[in-house]
Amino acid sequence: MNINDKLDSLLNKVIKPGRYIGGELNTVEKTEYKCHFGFAFPDTYEIGMSYLGLQILYRILNDYDDVYCERLFAPALDMEELMREEGLSLFTIETKTPASELDILGFTLQYEMSYTNIINMLDLANIPVLSKDRGEEWPLLIGGGPCAFNPEPLADVFDAFIIGDGEEAILEVCKTYIQNKQENGTKEQFLKSVCVKDGVYVPAFYEPVYNEDGTIKEILKKYDAAPSTVRKALIHDIEAAPFPENPIVPLIETVHDRAVVETFRGCTRGCRFCQAGMVYRPVRERSKGKIIDLAVKQLTSTGHEELSLLSLSTSDYSCFEPLISELMTICKSRNVALSLPSLRLDSFSFKVLQEMQGFRKSGLTFAPEAGTQRLRDVINKGITEEDIYGSIRQALLLGWNNIKLYFMIGLPTETYQDLDGIIEIGKKIVRMNYDLKGPKGGRFNVTISVSNFVPKPDTPFQWERQDTPDELIKKHNYLKEGLKVKHITFNYHDTATSFLEGVIARGDRRVLKPIIRAFELGARFDGWSEHFKEGIWMQAFKETQIDPCFYNCRIRSEQEILPWDMIDSGVTKEFLLRERGKALVGTTTADCRLNCEVCGLKRYTICKQEGVNG
Amino acid sequence: MGKYLISFTKLGYIKYTSHLDMLRLFKRSFKRAGIELVYSQGFNPHPDMAFCQPLSLGYESICELLEFEINKPMEPEKIMTRLNEIMPKGISITSCIPLDDKMKSIASTCYEASYKIEIPTIDRCNHSTEDLLQQYLDQKQIVALKSSKKHRETKELDIKPKIREIKANIVDNIIIMYTRLDAGSHSNLSPELLISSFCEFAGIETARDKAKITRTDLKY
Repeated sequence: MNINDKLDSLLNKVIKPGRYIGGELNTVEKTEYKCHFGFAFPDTYEIGMSYLGLQILYRILNDYDDVYCERLFAPALDMEELMREEGLSLFTIETKTPASELDILGFTLQYEMSYTNIINMLDLANIPVLSKDRGEEWPLLIGGGPCAFNPEPLADVFDAFIIGDGEEAILEVCKTYIQNKQENGTKEQFLKSVCVKDGVYVPAFYEPVYNEDGTIKEILKKYDAAPSTVRKALIHDIEAAPFPENPIVPLIETVHDRAVVETFRGCTRGCRFCQAGMVYRPVRERSKGKIIDLAVKQLTSTGHEELSLLSLSTSDYSCFEPLISELMTICKSRNVALSLPSLRLDSFSFKVLQEMQGFRKSGLTFAPEAGTQRLRDVINKGITEEDIYGSIRQALLLGWNNIKLYFMIGLPTETYQDLDGIIEIGKKIVRMNYDLKGPKGGRFNVTISVSNFVPKPDTPFQWERQDTPDELIKKHNYLKEGLKVKHITFNYHDTATSFLEGVIARGDRRVLKPIIRAFELGARFDGWSEHFKEGIWMQAFKETQIDPCFYNCRIRSEQEILPWDMIDSGVTKEFLLRERGKALVGTTTADCRLNCEVCGLKRYTICKQEGVNG
Repeated sequence: MGKYLISFTKLGYIKYTSHLDMLRLFKRSFKRAGIELVYSQGFNPHPDMAFCQPLSLGYESICELLEFEINKPMEPEKIMTRLNEIMPKGISITSCIPLDDKMKSIASTCYEASYKIEIPTIDRCNHSTEDLLQQYLDQKQIVALKSSKKHRETKELDIKPKIREIKANIVDNIIIMYTRLDAGSHSNLSPELLISSFCEFAGIETARDKAKITRTDLKY
């Protein structure tokens, strides 16, 4: 029985077999190539295929003749069980090639809670998990994506990491691989030549030494020519960077089934909790013409019925209004829906939303993040009470009756007064609606969603402690009590997941042990609340004698060597410390479009948006 | 405006694409081919397009039917060529004919479907296949168990009147049945009921996931 018959009999038994079949529109088939690359997404097909980075890198790699890039995803639990029963190993979905036969296996690290899925996928592929156990015969393992900015928890798994923008770096890695192969070079020789490239971190060339208290004493370099700090890879000219005109169109329904154009990378707002806002600097915009051209080409090549724009803050695009007006005309003529995430709600946005949503108004979402002005200043969320109430008033008048508000709790310096602020905002909106519409106002709901703050590397809050699960639960209960108000729905995130996310996000190499142990005990899809098992993780920490509190429950000293100190995200430690100091006294920092705040990026590139609105 | 009927195949891995996903696939394909479908009016416009007899997930077919209406009439040949240029592997349009505007929808006039059913057995055929089949068909009633999703119960059902014809032979321990069954809104028989009742009658213990089913004809 060949793999395909075997696969076929499994597919007859699983939920959503379309996840595993490949053959979608705009996928690539190649027979001759020098480097067989597997792009692995450690979650299900529907989630992975909604990720733009996959589409971008798939196109770049396959447009290069010598590389063939295929995709791999984490099989759902039912499929995994059958694969293990039948001895079918993890395969690429294009040609059903076993993962162990690839030259390079590249995982994208989108979320800490997907790490057990990575271990599981390697196990399903029969690939040894630790890099030291893999000889020349195994694929090279490469990691990239936002979580690679602290690669340390997976440092003993991957041969190399790509830090920062992947477009050029990933091709550079493949070219180096091909050249090394042609010269009959060893894996070590490859790593030695690749570690000097921009954005490439080879963990085997660095070794942390620990103090008795568990903190890092120093980070030793094991190979002299390796850089002392690895500077992130950076696309300087985004206009010229490749972007898919013919993305893959899944056969089955995915999370986001639509054409997507990235309008700009980076963010100028400087929210202090936001890792993306720090590590994707500087802001680099595509021209309006380019965006429209890409949108039209994608719609033509895919037949998609929805178009969306992607960036960290949609409305901050320089020529936002003309861009949206033109796109709306294009979409209307093609029977395509336009969807705009994370809009700032000013009068223009309302006009756009009115036109896009017409009578079927979905919810409107606001993200004040904190309940009082004081705390919003601490996190540098440049939004005022007047902003919030002004927009909501307008939304209510225009007929929206489902308002969603996002907050974070556990932020540095937070007190119960700040929680009272959240309750107050919720109540005030309900009152506002009553004042506007009277007792017969009709259906109306305010949803208040609270997530738990997780300090992330490369942010001004990277030294802070995280609230313990107990502290968070107390705060949830307090809010639950205070928000028992008619027309208010209160949601909150699981505390155990946030706690674990925090441990891994700022973890060091020692955190790998409990991750592997948790996998052995059955942890999978930890980011899915229905699959997350807190008990397994607590047992894993206990058995491996790793204290999660060491990573989460203490304020780290500003002098402490942080596990990710060998990574240079572009922003300097001085800038982060300056921002931290300002945060703790509640001073705000201006948007970089008003004034350059000297974050450090200008050492490496030109910052075109600097002070443009100043 | 013009109404058309296309016939197409669904072979290979694409058989794991569900009915709803096939609808989405065709919607996108028409868009890409530059064939403008007539959209309904209203808050949620959707194109005028329908499959005749949804095909179960995992079945292959050489005779799927899709009817649709387009804004500007086109040569059927041209529709076929344009679609074939862009269809994924396993789907190929085999014919396209114009339909009379006043005709009832194919979905409502469909009455018969033919399936080729392949059931692997583990050297378990004491009788000749013909005899076995004849005995099966000669039963006064052919009782199958039908489970209803709505009521969460299984009901006994006599499927004999819904079976129009079955021929069978055996090749390399695979029973191959050629069946013509009732299909459509008036009377309908799913091959699943036939397979389960036949296997039970014949004492064949084959895991259902090993059987292969291909739809070979739809009559309307």
